[in-house]
Amino acid sequence: MIRFIVQRVLWGLLVVMSVVTLVFFLIFVAGDPAVTVLGPQARAEQIADFNAKKGLDRPVTEQFLSYLGILPCVRKDSPKYEREDGSRGFCGVLQGDLGESYSHHESVARVIGFRLPRTLLLASMAVLFELIIGLTAGVIAALRRNRWSDTLIMFSTFVGISLPTYVTGPISLLLFSFLLGWFPFGGYGVDPLDHIYHALLPAFILAIAGAATYARVMRGELIETLRHDHVRTAKAKGMPPSQVVIRHAIRNALLPVVTLIGLSLPFLVGGAIITEKIFAWPGLGLLTIESIESLDAPVIMAVVLMFGIAVQVGNLFADIAVAALDPRIRLND
Amino acid sequence: MRSTPKTKSRPPRWFAGLVMIAATIALGGWVVTHFPKAPIGPRFVGAGNETPQAGGTFIFAEGSNIHTLDPHFAYDTLSTAACRLLYDGLLDYDYDGNMIPSLAASLPEVSDGGRVFRFTLREGVKFHNGRELTAEDVSWSMHRLLSERIGSPGYPFYKSIIGAPEYHTGKKDTIEGIVVLDARTIEFRLDEADQTFLNAIAMPFAYPIAREHVEALEKAEGPTAVGRNPVGAGPFSLRRWERGVQVEFDRFDDYWNPMARPAQMVFLENISPDVASARFRNGDLDIIYRPSKVSRLFIRNSEAWEPYRVDVPAAGLFALGLNCELPPFDNVHVRRAMSFAIDRSKLERLNPGKMIAATQVLPPMLPPHDPELPEAQTFDSERAKEEMRLAGYPDGIPEPVQLWVRSAGEANYAQLFQQDLKAIGIDIELKMVTFATYLKETGRPRVAQSAFTGWHQDFPDPSNFMDILFHSRSIHPENSENRSFYRNPKLDALLDAGRAEVDKAKRLELYAQANALLAADAPWVFLFYPVELFAWQPYVRNFRQHPVWLHEYRNVWLDLPRRRVSQDIYGQEATQ
Repeated sequence: MIRFIVQRVLWGLLVVMSVVTLVFFLIFVAGDPAVTVLGPQARAEQIADFNAKKGLDRPVTEQFLSYLGILPCVRKDSPKYEREDGSRGFCGVLQGDLGESYSHHESVARVIGFRLPRTLLLASMAVLFELIIGLTAGVIAALRRNRWSDTLIMFSTFVGISLPTYVTGPISLLLFSFLLGWFPFGGYGVDPLDHIYHALLPAFILAIAGAATYARVMRGELIETLRHDHVRTAKAKGMPPSQVVIRHAIRNALLPVVTLIGLSLPFLVGGAIITEKIFAWPGLGLLTIESIESLDAPVIMAVVLMFGIAVQVGNLFADIAVAALDPRIRLND
Repeated sequence: MRSTPKTKSRPPRWFAGLVMIAATIALGGWVVTHFPKAPIGPRFVGAGNETPQAGGTFIFAEGSNIHTLDPHFAYDTLSTAACRLLYDGLLDYDYDGNMIPSLAASLPEVSDGGRVFRFTLREGVKFHNGRELTAEDVSWSMHRLLSERIGSPGYPFYKSIIGAPEYHTGKKDTIEGIVVLDARTIEFRLDEADQTFLNAIAMPFAYPIAREHVEALEKAEGPTAVGRNPVGAGPFSLRRWERGVQVEFDRFDDYWNPMARPAQMVFLENISPDVASARFRNGDLDIIYRPSKVSRLFIRNSEAWEPYRVDVPAAGLFALGLNCELPPFDNVHVRRAMSFAIDRSKLERLNPGKMIAATQVLPPMLPPHDPELPEAQTFDSERAKEEMRLAGYPDGIPEPVQLWVRSAGEANYAQLFQQDLKAIGIDIELKMVTFATYLKETGRPRVAQSAFTGWHQDFPDPSNFMDILFHSRSIHPENSENRSFYRNPKLDALLDAGRAEVDKAKRLELYAQANALLAADAPWVFLFYPVELFAWQPYVRNFRQHPVWLHEYRNVWLDLPRRRVSQDIYGQEATQ
C-alpha cells in the first residue's frame, strides 16, 4: 500500500511538472502579457517598464527556470530579487513563491487564497447534493425496478445529463431568484450563513449532471448486486429486506460510485467555471477566466498547478477509498 | 420477504416515456402561465423629499473585478471608479467637462510660457486618518508614483516634469521639477510647455495618499498592501473589501466638500450584465450601467423607466485602422475612398441605441468636435468611386485587402460593410486574431494591412486622441501607439503647437485644424461612437452622467424611505 502511494505520488509529480511546463510555454506563445494586461491603450514605455519589472525581457528558458526556482529571480519587483549582500535571490515555486499577479497587484498566493475557499464551498455543497440526490434516486430506482417510479427517475436522469449548466443556470436564476424570490441573485453574500444560502442554487445546478450519473450507476450496480449469492443467502437467513439492502447490497454497489466521485472532484472544481460565471460566484473559476483573458501568467500557472495536483490527489483518493471499501482489492496487485 | 418483481402486464416503457414528456410539457406550460409577471417599471419609488437627504446605502455593480485601491496603479475603469470615492486630486472636471480645482484652492498659476504650474492647496483638507493634507504629501505621492520601485503605469503622463525620467530610472534620488514652496504651495516645473499636464494632474494616478499610512503598511505587509487598505482624502473611506465580491465604503464626514450623501456605498464586483439587470429590475441595485441586451431594449422602450434612464455617448470611438505604409493604403485616395464607401447607418440599425455614426476622430462631447465639419467622413458612394479613380484604381483593387478583427462582433460589423466596399472594387478578406496577437502584431510596422481599432479617452483633451494615435512620435519598431503608421509633418507641427499653447481658444483652433486634416487624410475610417445606457431607481436623486468619470456617484443622494409599488399595479399594467 505504501509502495503504491509513493509510486503514485512520484508519477503524479511528473505529470504535474509536464503540464506546468507545457502551459508555461503555451502562455509565452499566446501573446505578450504586458500588452494584454496594460490594455490596447498602453504606451510603448509602459510596456517596456512592465516587461523589465516582471523579468519578461529575459530569455524564456531563464524565465521558466527562475519560475521553478532553479535559476535566480528575474522579477525586479520581488522582495527576493536582491539579497542584502547584493546577490540575486530565488523566487520560484521550489521556494514556495508563486509570484505576483500581473493585474491584481497582489501575490498570487493571496489572490488564490481569497478564491479557493469559495470554490471549495461550492464544490463540496455540490458533491453533497450529488450524493444525496443521486444515491437516493439510484437506490429507489433499483428497488422499484421497471415500475413508474423507476421510469420517472431514469427519465429525469436523462434530462439531468442532457441539460448543460449554461441552460439550467440562467433559467433557475430567472425562476427562483427573479420571479419567485426564493434565492439570491447570484453573488457570495457577506457572512458564513449567507455564503451557504447564496451557494444553494449554484451548487444544486452544478450537482444536477453528477447526481443523474450517480443515480444511473447506482441503479445498475445495485440491481446487479441484488442478484449475487450473498444477497440471496442473507435473504434466505431471514434478514429483514431493508438490512439486506443496506448491509449487503448498497455497500458493494457503492464501489464504482466512489471511483467516480474521486475522478470527478477536480472536474467539479474545473466545471464550476461556467456556474461561477453565471451565478457571479467569485471563486477560482471566475479567476481562471479573468486570468486567461488578461494573460495573467502567474495566476494561470498557479491555477494549472493546483488543478494538476487536484487531479492526482482525486485519483489517489479514489484508489485508496476503493481498497478501503473492498478488502478483496490489494493496491500492490 | 419481498418476492421478485411481479409479472402482471403493465404499459410498455415507450408509453411511460411519452407520458413523462407530456407531463413535462404540461408542467412547463403551467409554470409559464402561473408565474408572477416581471415588473414593467420600477418596483420602488422615493419618499418625495425635495431637499437632499443624507443616509442610506447606495449599491452599484460591475461585471468584472476591482484590481487595486492604490491610485498609483489604478489604470482600469473599475479600480479608477473605486479610487474616485476614496481619493481626491488637486484638479477635477465639472459636469460640462471643464477643469475645476478640487484639493487645490484654485486653478494653478501658469508661468514661464506654460512650463511652470503653481498650486495652492485648499485649507482644512483631511485624510481619512484625520491628518491635514500638506504640499509635502502631494510631493511624496508624486515621487512614489514615479519611482522605479513602484513601477506605476502612470509614469508616461508625468515624464515632462524636470528630472522625472532620471528619478524613474534610479539615476537621481529626487525629482527637481517638483518643488514644495510652503505647507500649502507646490510647484511643478516641466522641461517643455505642455498644457496636457493639467489633465495628467487630474488623473487618479496623481491623487495624494497619506505617507505615514503607506510607509507603515509597506513595511508590515509589503508594497502591494496599500492596494487593499487605502487612506486618501476622498468623500468616502474604506469600510471593507471582500475581494472579488464587493467593496463597502463609509461616508467621510470631514471631507472638504460636505454634501448630503449616502452613509454607505457598496460596489459589487463580478456581477454579469444578466444578473445585474435582474437585480436592478428587482430593486436590489440602485443604478445600472450597460445592462444586458434584453434589459437594455426593455428599459429603453418602457415608458415607466423613461424619466430614469439616459443614453450616454462614451468618450471614445471605433474605427478601421489603415496601415499607411502598406499598399494600397499608402495611397491617400484609397483611404478616402474607404471612408466614403461605408454606410454607417447599417451598423446603427444592427445595434439600435448603441452607437452614433462617427465622422471624425473626436467624439461629440469633446471640443473641437464639429458636427458641420466639411471634411467629415460620411457615406457617399459617388465620391468614393471618384477617389478610387484618382487613386488609379478605376476598376477596383485586384488583390483582396486583409482586415484584422478581434471578435465575432467585429466580424459581423465587417460583413455589414463588405458589400459597400465591394461596390467600389475593394475586396475585404477577414482575418480573425486573438486580442493578444492583435495588440502585439498591429504595433509592428508593415504587418497588418488594416484592422479594427478604437480608443477611449484617458482624459478629456483632443491631444489624448490625436497625439498618441497619429503623431509620428508614436511610431516604434514594437508596440507602436500609432498603429496606422501615419506620418504627416503638418499634423505633427499642429499637435506640437497645440500641446504647448496656453491660450485656450488658439489651442482649440489648432486641434480643429488637426481634426479636419485627420478626417481628410483618413489614416482611420471612423465607424461609430459607442453609446451606453444608464438607468437608476426613482429614489436615486441628483444623478447625472459625468463626461469623464464612468461611475461618478459622489453627488448622489437617496430619497428614503423608498416605497414599494404595489405588485397589483404591475400585474394590471403587465396585462395591458
